[in-house]
Order: sequence, then structure tokens, then C-alpha cells
Amino acid sequence: MDPLREYELMMTRRELFGKTAMGVGSAALHTLLRGSGLGAVMAASAAYGQNAKPQIHMGKPRPGMPGFPNFAPKAKCVIMLFMNGGPSQMDLFDYKPQMEKEFDKDLPDRIRNGQRITTMTSGQARFPVAPSKFKFKKYDNNADGLYVSELLPHTATVAKELCVIKSMWTEAINHDPAVTYIQTGSQLPGRPSFGAWVSYGLGSMNEDLPTYVVLHSKVSSGKVDQALYTRLWGTGFLPSEHQGVSMRSSGDPVLYLSDPHGMDRSMRREMLDDVSKLNHMQLNEFGDPEIAARISQYEMAYRMQSSVPELMDLSKEPKDVYELYGDEAKTPGTFAANCLLARRLAQRGVRFIQIFHRGWDQHGNLANDLPSQCKDVDQASAALIKDLKRLGMLDETLVVWGGEFGRTIYCQGPLSHENYGRDHHPRCFTRWMAGGGVKPGISYGQTDDYCYNIVDKDGHVINPSVDEFTSGAVHIHDMNATMLHLLGIDHTKLTYRYQGRDFRLTDVHGHVVKDLLA
Amino acid sequence: MMRARSVFLLTSAIGTLGVGLAVGPTQSRKKPVKTVKAIDFNRDIRPILSEHCFKCHGPDGKEVKGNLRVSDQKDATRDRGGYWAIKPGDPQHSVLVDRTTPGNDSPMPPKDSGMVPLTAEQSALLKEWVKQGAKYEKHWAFVPPKMPAIPVVKNKAWIKNPIDNFVLEKLEAKGLKPEPEADAATLLRRASLTLTGLLPTPAEIDAIKNDKQPGAYERAVDRLLTSERYGEHQARYWLDAVRYGDTHGLHLDNERAVYPYRDWVVRAFNQDLGFDKFTEWQLAGDLMPNPTTDMKVATGYVRMNPTSSEGGAIEEEFLVRNTQDRVDTMSTVFLGLSVGCAKCHDHKFDPITTKDYYQLFAYFNSTKDAPLDGNMLSPEPTIPAPTAEEAAELQKGKDTLLKIESETSPDTAQKWVMEHRVAPPKLTPWEVSTTFRHKTFDEAFATDETPDKWSALKLEAGKGIALASLDNSSNYLRTTISAEADRDLIFRVSSDDGIKMWLNGALVHSNKVLRSIDESVDVVTLKLKKGENPLVVKIVNATGGDGIRYTYGTDLETKVEEAFKKNDPLFTKQTFLKFGPDDAKSKQYRETMAAVTKLDMAIPRTLIAEEMPKPRQAYILRRGEYNLRADKVDRALPAALGTLPAGAPNNRLGLAQWLIDKNNPLTMRVFVNRIWQQHFGTGIVKTAEDFGAQGEWPSHPELLDYLSVKFAQDGYSIKKLHRLLVTSAAFRQRSSISQNKEKIDPENRLVSRGPRFRLDAEVLRDQALQVSGLLINREGGHGFKPYQPAGLWEDVAYPDSNTAKYKQDMTADIYRRTLYLFWKRTSPHPVMSSFDAPSREACVVRRSRTNTPLQALITMNEPAFMESARIFGERLVREKKGMKPRLNYAFRLSLGRSPTATEEQILLASATKYEARFKAEPAQAEALSSVGMAPAAKGLPKDEVATWTVIANTIFNLDEFLNQH
Repeated sequence: MDPLREYELMMTRRELFGKTAMGVGSAALHTLLRGSGLGAVMAASAAYGQNAKPQIHMGKPRPGMPGFPNFAPKAKCVIMLFMNGGPSQMDLFDYKPQMEKEFDKDLPDRIRNGQRITTMTSGQARFPVAPSKFKFKKYDNNADGLYVSELLPHTATVAKELCVIKSMWTEAINHDPAVTYIQTGSQLPGRPSFGAWVSYGLGSMNEDLPTYVVLHSKVSSGKVDQALYTRLWGTGFLPSEHQGVSMRSSGDPVLYLSDPHGMDRSMRREMLDDVSKLNHMQLNEFGDPEIAARISQYEMAYRMQSSVPELMDLSKEPKDVYELYGDEAKTPGTFAANCLLARRLAQRGVRFIQIFHRGWDQHGNLANDLPSQCKDVDQASAALIKDLKRLGMLDETLVVWGGEFGRTIYCQGPLSHENYGRDHHPRCFTRWMAGGGVKPGISYGQTDDYCYNIVDKDGHVINPSVDEFTSGAVHIHDMNATMLHLLGIDHTKLTYRYQGRDFRLTDVHGHVVKDLLA
Repeated sequence: MMRARSVFLLTSAIGTLGVGLAVGPTQSRKKPVKTVKAIDFNRDIRPILSEHCFKCHGPDGKEVKGNLRVSDQKDATRDRGGYWAIKPGDPQHSVLVDRTTPGNDSPMPPKDSGMVPLTAEQSALLKEWVKQGAKYEKHWAFVPPKMPAIPVVKNKAWIKNPIDNFVLEKLEAKGLKPEPEADAATLLRRASLTLTGLLPTPAEIDAIKNDKQPGAYERAVDRLLTSERYGEHQARYWLDAVRYGDTHGLHLDNERAVYPYRDWVVRAFNQDLGFDKFTEWQLAGDLMPNPTTDMKVATGYVRMNPTSSEGGAIEEEFLVRNTQDRVDTMSTVFLGLSVGCAKCHDHKFDPITTKDYYQLFAYFNSTKDAPLDGNMLSPEPTIPAPTAEEAAELQKGKDTLLKIESETSPDTAQKWVMEHRVAPPKLTPWEVSTTFRHKTFDEAFATDETPDKWSALKLEAGKGIALASLDNSSNYLRTTISAEADRDLIFRVSSDDGIKMWLNGALVHSNKVLRSIDESVDVVTLKLKKGENPLVVKIVNATGGDGIRYTYGTDLETKVEEAFKKNDPLFTKQTFLKFGPDDAKSKQYRETMAAVTKLDMAIPRTLIAEEMPKPRQAYILRRGEYNLRADKVDRALPAALGTLPAGAPNNRLGLAQWLIDKNNPLTMRVFVNRIWQQHFGTGIVKTAEDFGAQGEWPSHPELLDYLSVKFAQDGYSIKKLHRLLVTSAAFRQRSSISQNKEKIDPENRLVSRGPRFRLDAEVLRDQALQVSGLLINREGGHGFKPYQPAGLWEDVAYPDSNTAKYKQDMTADIYRRTLYLFWKRTSPHPVMSSFDAPSREACVVRRSRTNTPLQALITMNEPAFMESARIFGERLVREKKGMKPRLNYAFRLSLGRSPTATEEQILLASATKYEARFKAEPAQAEALSSVGMAPAAKGLPKDEVATWTVIANTIFNLDEFLNQH
């Protein structure tokens, strides 16, 4: 038996079994369970006006592992905006004006320095530099300013909240391994995802909703050129209850949530009452605490049938919310609608929310496709931060934006001033974080003029190693360790023994980057 | 993590510590310990050393701190210049004892190590062990099992077979009594579910209840073991372990054809293929003498690792990953060891070095399959795997073709060929120009140069070649075609990328396109004049590689020319029959040929393993990275685990022979433990995936050895093993928790009661279909696609993947057993993953068993469960009249018993209420009685069907229905 179940069972035994089979009797237990079943359904208020704080129904918490969090957390929950495919850092955040004069000149060998490249471009006769065609502007961030590309005008308006890391790096050079790596700490399938680890370690703040929610976003260009895999929100060897649950914009928001046509709520209630009565007889006869656990899971399912539709119903959000997120937020399944939904999930105590937006793999035609991608996410990403801030939630909500790797300065395919393409680049890329205890208004790390290598303040190339942390370079394990730290978790302590080994999200690596912490 | 180890009882000397010494969360901590028992190194001491010391003082050669290996007896006990880490018999002079005692000034493990310090109990144990002489033993699982003595017990009447002696010995030691035997109906349900994954029918239950002769239960077990449903159910566990799936598993995650392997596994179980052969065939069927089709199909095991063909992927990197995956899986499935740790560094807890790891790697790195799968359905090597019927049908067709061929005159055929032959045109040898480079593809295509430098080019019809492969560049090719008269010549050409053609100086073809030469073919009719016709071809490349391939002539011309050239009478006859004049014979020939081809195409090809003639060199890879090669290594077994049996070849076959060798300490223990786990819910070794030093101590070590040795004695018969387990008195106990067992044996590790655990995803779905009557028991074949909410694949899939869009089957196939569900590894069916089925991307030998609200929603609302409830409702209404008989029938079908008076009272009251409501609201009744694809039964009152649908839905959600018990 895994430790969590063991722990839960002990809880169950203490709370339920101990009181019933050995004392109070099952009728009392029945009342107890019914109480939380019927009584606690739905308290969401319709009156969420300008001043009224929303009344939000919260279920009971589920405890995490004993000893977790390890220390006082800064962030209660994480909203991760995942740009799948590898957003081009030098067209968005990592401003490289020096490249203008390098147009169509070869990437110098001293810069590439023999590093491997994918077999998509390794056959290219040349590696001509493609400077970004997009204009950059410097925005006030209460420090030395933040350059943001014209493609992200809304994001620029929250520059003061952003902690921009320009020196992210990974070893993986292809999508499947890279995205699996950043999500699970391993390039190969089989390990638990970030959100699953958090659910396992910290438990739930609201048992009537999943602890880890995944939202998929429509891509307006229709070009979703890279895949996702359920392993990215899977549990690997952790018990499956920790897996990410997709909340969907069409059909049942949670799979199989709706009762079948012809069965109304009162009949479902009666049917579940019968199930509960008969299950109690089983409990009396067999004395297996798992039966008591099952009874409570059915009550939770019943409550989810009400709490999830209430959660998904954006119709009562006031007008100013749509001004903030944009009218797109009215269309279910858009990135904007998902950002708004993410805020509602955070309000209801969902610990880990991940929004996927696909289509960031610009091998060619970047000039047309990247602006469309940015348009999908820019306003809503900024709106989410503003919205969390005005609700007083940003301090305890960590927002993260970015993809699985970066892109090359050199062009893939035809190059012109008007258009170009870029291959995968793992040696440096940009992500940003906001809220949840990160230092606002900073940018961390530098890259060389070619946006090829991470460099130190004096421009010397850093050749970072996963084995030891080098200040200024942030490996994906370092990022994950830092995020866990903000959640009050020592990344070396959140372990699970499988096949004789204590596994963790950061494998045997990772370092909390203190410079990013507020 | 709290781990329930078996309780060890200590001498009173340690008892004076004043606290109970029991380990584990649930052991009583109050009772003073009196019994004296010698310390067992493996059971009592190794776990402490492994947990607290081995990380820095263990087998990993690189990490050894302070020049001390506690894992090595010699090193740990040597004189270190007047002091000892361990001085046998003398705890006072053993630094290890001192430093690990709580309260020591410089404690071990060190405070900053992040490791947990020893408890007082553990420290006392170590001390006592040193006092008793610090005896080391090889880790128990690395010593081959021997037949143990069968324990003597008091309650001899309880014993059905020797398993019970081992179980009862422990129970009696704890002062526990076994539970009484479950009633016949419960037992039959339990045995049916655990052996076949399906429920017994009411008739089968009645039969066993009425069978008063001794051995009724045993006879039922024998019947179940001959059921074909047995093999299907048993295969499922194996498919988890070998990570079987119907897609590649990575990136595009296209479909791949390997289900004949799955069907072979089912057959192997049903035919009770010995586990020795079962192992040998899968690992190395291709290397056995004169391998049969089945032996080859079985090697699909080797090919089961997830594969990729992601654009830009580096072949060597994936060769290494695929091979590592094969080593890790072999090791977990057969050895119960995670050797994976050793791919980067020597194993920290078990005696597996990095060198050992890459020596094992060398057994698997030399198969012929390409490291990147090309996203193909059947990446080679593959073989056709027809069913017996398909093979017979195919042979019949081939015989017909032979007969017609033999009846055809060779002279007539030859005459026809000569009449229809058109002499092929003559081409002078091709020449190629220098390369012309441009800024853009557009410019290169638009600008037609006049080359003046030409060189010879070896370009033949039908063979593609590459040219300069420079970006945005043009190459010109030329030849001269001579014709004996004016004529048309069909010229088929494919180019990478754009192409223009000039004949006799005039542009005859232009196609501005970006493509590879395999993507499409341009068909150009060249109007040749009598005499010489110069032809110039321009190939324009955008980026990457470029090239050209051409053929010429009409189809008929080509075929006739082929026959002419071959000059083989049979081939000429075949050409004549296929392309010659239409008559009854040729018509029959062509139709038969089409049927044979169609059948041949329909016969699945399945992935198999084949060995390269010369093995690839293997290397130790630093940090497991493909590009960090260290020393060369050759195939060899880990020294600590044994050596190849005499005469075994040093390849996969030899490896397989070692796995099943009597001296292999692990394979049989690991396998019988998993079978135990299937039936009892938890293995004798709970960590079924880890028998190493970090794994859990077996609850009944001698029983495990008994079963392993017995299994070998019984000729590795898996059916005999099952029979032994499920006919034991231990298995037959009631599953209720009585006496003080909730406290003493909370997890049932002592087997103080019968098994009780939630059924697996597949069984839950199958039994709902079964009781409704929807279940279809058709064996084998392509995976089926049942109800699935829209958009699940689309949400994640690569758009070009051939599994990007989910298309549900619209036939009765959706009611097949879940074993045959089409398994997309990057997005398995949500019912499967919600109920703890693994994704099949990685090896899993023990599923977690969770209890969640999402599972409740599935059994409440998922269409297959709901439809089953509806069809079950129809069945009740159709076959029984009146509420009471219907309820009784419902219980007997689904729970194997009649309802109690209370249950009857509760459910009949509800049914009455529901029926009244559905009568009043016919639209509701109509909606509920038409859930799912199966047509509604005619002539049944909808309100009654709807009512019994809800009652069925109630039953399908009862704990009793969802659980093995």
C-alpha cells in the first residue's frame, strides 16, 4: 500500500471506522455523511457585483503527506500557462538589436561551438542569422526596465509584476522528450507530473473539485502543430487519484458528470441514498474501512455534479471582467475563457491549474504565425495577473508562462527580411513568473548577442551543468525546485519510493534560485 | 514512508529499552516483548543499513565516503588501525554502533544529509546484531530458492494444501484464527472473477450449491481453467507488465500493428504454455532453432517499447533510449529489480554496476528494427500472422491461381507478349550541369539558365538519386531519346522540389512544388519525333535534400517488357492472364487474385524481433547519455546474479535460458509472487516490482520459496499454480474483518481472511456488459473503439497522426471484452485511466488501487455502464413479472445471491416510487430507456424498463458489485 493511502486509511479509521463499528453505530455515520452530502451542496452566490465578495462553495480539504508543506508557503496555488511548441524568445522578450546588421550572415562557429542541433537543420548548408522583424520597446518594471516585443502589448502593461527569466535551459532538443522533461522531470514516460506531485504532497483545499485541473485552449490559427500526451498531467507511479483532470469546454466539463437523460437530480439523490444504505450494510458485515471511503467518494461525486457546473458558468461574471480579459473570454475553450476559469478555480482552492495553448512551433512562416499565437494569449495572460491582483489573490497565486525550449537565431528554410523560420533551441529560452512570492519587476539571466548561449554579466559564456547550479543559468529542474519552494515544499523531500528508489520531481538535481524569490 | 515489516521479536536485553520494538504503524506498542528469536540479517538488519547507510557506504563504487562500505562484510569488519566500523561480537568497539546511536555527537547519517536518523529500536537492533557476531548474509532474493520444510500446525483440519501450513503457522503464532470458509456462491464468484475476470451465471451458482459431493469447488476451478475467458483475463496482467499498446507511444503516436502478439499471449495462457517456454519465446523466439510463427510473433515482446520518429530526432539517441527501456522492462518483469539506476551510476542498494547495466544493454542493442519507427504501421521486421481460417482461405485462393496457370498454354501467352511488345526508347547516358544558386526558391524556379558545363550522371529508370542538395538552387539534367518513328512516350517523374522539362527545345512540363520524391509523381506525355529528341530537366531545390526519380512507358508496355526480358514461361503466363485478353479464365484469375490480395492485405503483420548478423558494439554511457561513450563492453550477466547456464549462447536466447534456469534466484519468485498478488490483492513481497535490498521483506518467505520450487517441479504450468492458490483454505476464507484483525493485520498481509479489493477497470466494464447480456466473446483481432467522449484524442494529438481523431466503432464490436480495447498510449480510454490502468508507456507490474469521485461518476453515468444498466433493466422486465421476482433475479445475476429482507424493502420501495414517476413523466421514461446504441427492446413498457434501469444502475454502484470479496 502506498503511503498516502495508508495515511488516508488511518484517517478514515480514526474518523469513521473507529466511531462506528466500535461505538457509535452505522446509523449515526449515515447521518454524518448525509449531512455533508445534502447540506453542503452549493452555496455560490449569484450576486457577484462590483463590491460584493463572491460567496464560493468550498468542500472539505484533503490532507497531504505528513510534514507537508515543509515550511510556510508563499503560494497556495499555481496557474501555469503552457505555450506548447517552444515560443521564440528573441521575437518576444530577449531583445537582440545587434542582430540587425548580421542579417543572412552565418552564425559564427565560435558561438555554436560544436553544439548538437536537430536533424531538421543539421543538413543545412548554412546557418544564416534571422534577426527578429518585430519592434521592441522598453517598459518600466520598477527596475532597469523590461524589453517586450510589439507582439505582447498587454503583457508589457504588467511588466512591474513579472519576473522574467531569460536564461532557462534544458538538454532535450525534440518536443516529446522536452515537454515530458519539463512536466515530469524525465525525458522518458513513466514519472508523475508536476501537478500530480503537488496533489500528492499538499493534498486538496477543496475536495469537491479536482486538485489538479488541466484546460485545453483553442488555437485561432487552427495550426496546432505539436502534440500533447496525457502523461504530461499523469501520475506515473503515484496513485491515479493525483492525475490532472481535464475540464472541458464542450460536453461534460468533467467526464461523465451529467446524469443520463431521464434521470433528474432528485432521482439521482434517491438512487445514491439506496447505494449508501446498502453499502453501510456491507460495511457492517465486512468491516472494511475502504467501504466507508467509497461511501464518501460517492457523496463527493454528487457534490461535484453541482459545484462543477456552477464553477464553469461564466455568465454571471460582470462586464468589467470581460473588458479585462477581452470578449474572447465569452467563447468557451478560448485561452481567454480558460484564464478566467483558472481564476475561478483558484478562488475555489484548486491547487494546480494548467492551461495548454498549442501551436508555438514556428519552423517556418514565423512572421504570420507568431503574431496570431501571441494575439490568442497576450491580453488574457495580462488580465489574469491584473484580475488576481485586484482580488487580492496574486500574492498567493503563482502564475507561470512559457514553453518547453527556445528557438534558434539562425533561420530554418527560406530567409527574408519579411519572413523566416526557427529550429528548436534548448540552450536558452525565456519564461516568466508572477505573484506567489516571486520577485516582481525583474529580469534574470542574460544570453549572448546571438541568443545562443547563456552568458554572465560580463558576457562570458556559461556552460551550465545539470549537476551543479551556476548563478545566472536556470535549468528546468531549478525552475521546478523554485516553484515547489514557493509552495512550501523542499524539492528534495517530496519523494515517493518506487522500485526501491525515492523518486522526486527534480530527479537528483534542481536548485532553488533564491534570486527569484521576493 | 511507513512500512509494515513483519514483526520481529527480540531478546529481553533489548526489551529493557522500555518501549515496544514492533515496527510498523499498526503494531501494538504496549505489549512487553518476551519471545526470544535470533536476528536475521536479511529481514532485520539489511533494511536498516540499506535505508540509512548504503547511499554513501554501499555498492556504488563512486560514492563511497570515508573509505567504508557497510554493504561489504570484509570492508566493514576490517581492522582500521586499532578501530573498527564493525567489530563482530563487540558493539562497544564498533564505531558504526556508536555513531548511529541516537544522541551521538557526530551522528550517522549526518544531520545535513537529509536522511532520517535511526530510531532507538533500530539502533538497539544493530547493537544486538553486532553482539551476536555481525553475521552477513547474501540478500535473500539473490540466493536460489530451495524447497523448505512444510511447517507443522495445530489446526490440521483446516489444511487443504501446503500453502495453508505456511499461512496458518503465522496466524497461530499471532494467536489468530482463520475466517471460516466463504459460502459456495461467494467462492464461485471469487474464483470466476480471479481466474476469468467474469461472473458466474445463476445456473453455475445453482450447480455448485446443489453439488453435495466432495470436491465441488475444485471441479468448478478446473472448469474455469479450461474456459477461453481464462486466457483473456490472465493476458491482461501480462500486457500491463510488457507495456502493450496499439500505438507507438511517442510524438505522432501513430497506430502500429502488434495485436497478434496480444492474441498469442491469450492463446499461450489458454494452452498453458509452460512459463519457461513463454519466457524463451518472447525474449528470443527468433533465435530458437527453426522458429514457428508463434515463436516469432512472441518476440513482439522485444519490440514493445514506445518508439518515436519525431522530426529532428537523432537516431543514436533513440537507439540508446529504446534499448535502455528494454533492459529496464526485462529486469522488472523477470527479475523484479530496477537496474535502471545503474544506467548513470553503480546501483546504490543492489549489486548492479554501471558496467553490469551496459553488459545487459548489449543483449538488446542489436536487433534489426530501426531506432526511429518512421511513424509506420508495421516498421520492419514484421511477419504476417494469419489466423488458421485466414491461412486456409489464402491457400484455397492460391491453389485456384495455380490451377488456372497450369491450364494456360505457354505458347499462347508467349505469342501475346510478342504481339504487344513495343520496343523501348533508347536514352543516351544522362548528364548533369553545375549548380546554379539563388536567393530564394522563387527566383531559382523563375530563372532558366543555359548551362555550359556538363558531367556524367548515373541515373537509371526507377532509381531515385540525390543532387547537390543546396538551398535555393537549380540543377539541369539532360539526355537524348531516339525513336524509330513518331510516337508518344509516357514519362513519370518525381522531383524534390520543383521541376521543368524541355523536349526538343520546347517547355513541355513545369511544376512549382515543394515535396520529397516519394510524395507525388508527375505524368508527362513526351511526343517523340522520329530520330533524336534532346530532353532537358531542371530540378529546383528549396531547402534540405533534393533529387529525381523517373520511369517511362504505359503500364501495359512496362509489364509486357518485363515478361519479355524475364523470358520465364510461368511469369509470361501470369502476365498474360493478368493483362491479356478478357475471357472467362482470365476473369476468374483476376477475381481470385484480387480476393487473395485483399485477404493478404487484411492479414495483420506484426512486429517481431530479429538479430543483426553482427552485433553492434556497446559502450558504458556516462550519465546514460548516448553521446558520452566510455569503455567498450560485451554481453555478460551481472556477476552478483549468476552466470549463463552451460552451453547457452551469449545472446538473447542465452539470456532467456538463464532467466528460467534453476539457479536463477529471482525469476520464479517474481512470477509466482505476481500470481499471488492477482488472487490475494497483495504480493507475498508487497513491492512486486522490487525484490532488491530496498524492496519489502516477504510476508511469508518460505511460502514464496515453496511456490517457486513447486512451480518448477510442476513443469512451469501456470494453470497448476493458479489451481494450487485458489483451492487453498487461505483463499477460501470469508473476507470479513473479525476478531482483532483490523488492528493486528490491517492490510491482510498475514492472510488472516479472504481477499477483498476493488476490481480492475477491465473487469468492472466486462461484468456490467456481461450481466446485461451485451458482452460479446469474440477472440482476437484489431482493437475496438467503444463510446468515448468527443474530443479527447483531438485535444492532445499531433494533427497529422493517424490516431488524431477518435472514430467510435458503430458495430456490436463495442461490446467486446475490454482486453481488446484499442490502446492509444498517449491518451488511453478515460475509464481505464480513472480506474488505475497504466498508460502502457512504461512497465507496470502492480497497479495502484484508488477510490475517487471520478470513478463514482463513471459507474453512475458512463455510456457503457449506463447502457448496460438499461439493457439489464430490459432483461429483468422481459424475463420476470412482478417487482419481487425482478429484484431477486437482478441480485442473482449481478451479485450471485438473493437480496436480504432489508435490501428488498429498500429497493422495492424505490422501484415503486420510480415507476410511479416514470408513468407520470413518459418523456423521462422514454429518454432513460433508450440510452446507448443497442436498439430498445420492442413491446416492453418504457416506464418499467426505466425503473429497472435505475435499479440496475444502483446495483452497479454497490460496493459488493465493484469488489472482489
